[in-house]
Amino acid sequence: MISLKNVTKTFGETVAVNDISLVAQKGEIIGFLGPNGAGKTTTMRLILGFLKASKGTVQVNKHDPLVERMQILPSIGYLPENNPQYGEMKVLEYLHFIAAAKGVTDATSVERIIRQVDISEKTTAKIEELSRGYRQRVGLAAALIGNPSILILDEPTSGLDPIEQEKIKDLIKKSAKEKIIIFSTHVLSEVEDIATRLIIISRGVIVYDGDKPKRKGGVETLFKKLVR
Amino acid sequence: MKALLKKELGFYLNNPIGYIVIGLFAVFANFMFVKDIFISGSASLRPFFDILPWLLMIFIPALTMRMISEERRTNTLELLLSLPISESQIILAKFCSVMVLTGIGLILTMGLPLSMNILTASVGGHIYLPEIIVAYGGVLLVAAAFTAISLFFSSLTKNQIIAFLGSVLTIFFLIIFSTDFAAGVLPPFVQSVLNYLSPVTQLSGFVKGVLDLRAVFYFLSLTALFLFLTVTDLEKRS
Repeated sequence: MISLKNVTKTFGETVAVNDISLVAQKGEIIGFLGPNGAGKTTTMRLILGFLKASKGTVQVNKHDPLVERMQILPSIGYLPENNPQYGEMKVLEYLHFIAAAKGVTDATSVERIIRQVDISEKTTAKIEELSRGYRQRVGLAAALIGNPSILILDEPTSGLDPIEQEKIKDLIKKSAKEKIIIFSTHVLSEVEDIATRLIIISRGVIVYDGDKPKRKGGVETLFKKLVR
Repeated sequence: MKALLKKELGFYLNNPIGYIVIGLFAVFANFMFVKDIFISGSASLRPFFDILPWLLMIFIPALTMRMISEERRTNTLELLLSLPISESQIILAKFCSVMVLTGIGLILTMGLPLSMNILTASVGGHIYLPEIIVAYGGVLLVAAAFTAISLFFSSLTKNQIIAFLGSVLTIFFLIIFSTDFAAGVLPPFVQSVLNYLSPVTQLSGFVKGVLDLRAVFYFLSLTALFLFLTVTDLEKRS
């Protein structure tokens, strides 16, 4: 379970996140929607313990991510914004490195994930030589290694063409069982397609947290109404 | 930690940069000593061990400068910190990888004591092996301290060149504290304190084959201090 209670995060004079509260439970795919600079990445970094909340409390599986980082990280798979990777490494070498760092001893699990994200033909390629779509899939594979119960994906489809976007969306849906998935995006249709719950954040404030509208185009209407 | 150590070593050993830096170190170390050996006419390796801190002053920051600064620049540090590896393990893995590479560089200089032994044997003498082992041990301690200092500077900036210059200048000032130049410009009391803090002063006992525990303590303390500062910097959360 992820819980944020009255969390505020300021950077100097700038309030990045203002008094937000949310609880995420197993089985939820949360689409975290907001314009650029709304506070999506800051919220994710607070959950991961990369940032210290100025006010309020953050808990992941009842642990404080700032002080009990080593307790929570084995249960989190993270795809950071812009998907930073070690470009000089080959795909297979990189995924084995991630598996070893996560303490995954099952030798077949990496191969299974490679098949799952459909990058079998690229395992011997250097990451820096891959297209953006493949790099994104490698990033997702790295996040999935160790079968974490929480997946935090910061703009997983950013910069991808529509075909690649569909593939990533499929992968997220397939990975959803028994997990909490939080993915940030500013693509409205993405939330409509895969999220089970919608959170809209604007200027650091959660302006909507609930079920996604059922009718087609409902997310867009809601977003336009709440975010100016 | 083992996975990260393997990755760090892999970066240098699967890449020409690692071989170039280690190769240049070995070439310079051997050349700087050999060029004067027949002029001095002395079968002593002490001048060689006296040169090494100066070479390590360049070699170690060159290997270390990218280690954290590049992780910060490319944001892979965020990726690393999202893995269940503690900040201390990250720094220790990087520290150990530089020590392994330095060890390889030093192994490449071992032709010198061997050839010196052959040369002295031809005139009925011999090299005193324990003295050489202690001296190499001392150089490894110097390398450990320099690596810790360089890692600290690498953690402070996203710019590798700034990290390199910061490390080289800090090590340079530590080294010159022991020189006659410092004695000429500083008050005697200050110079004697700074002289004590110089790695060259602390290494001098090892070069003579003396295993001085105070010097061992000095190097271990300096290394631990800078490793601690680096870990603290990495643990900092804004």
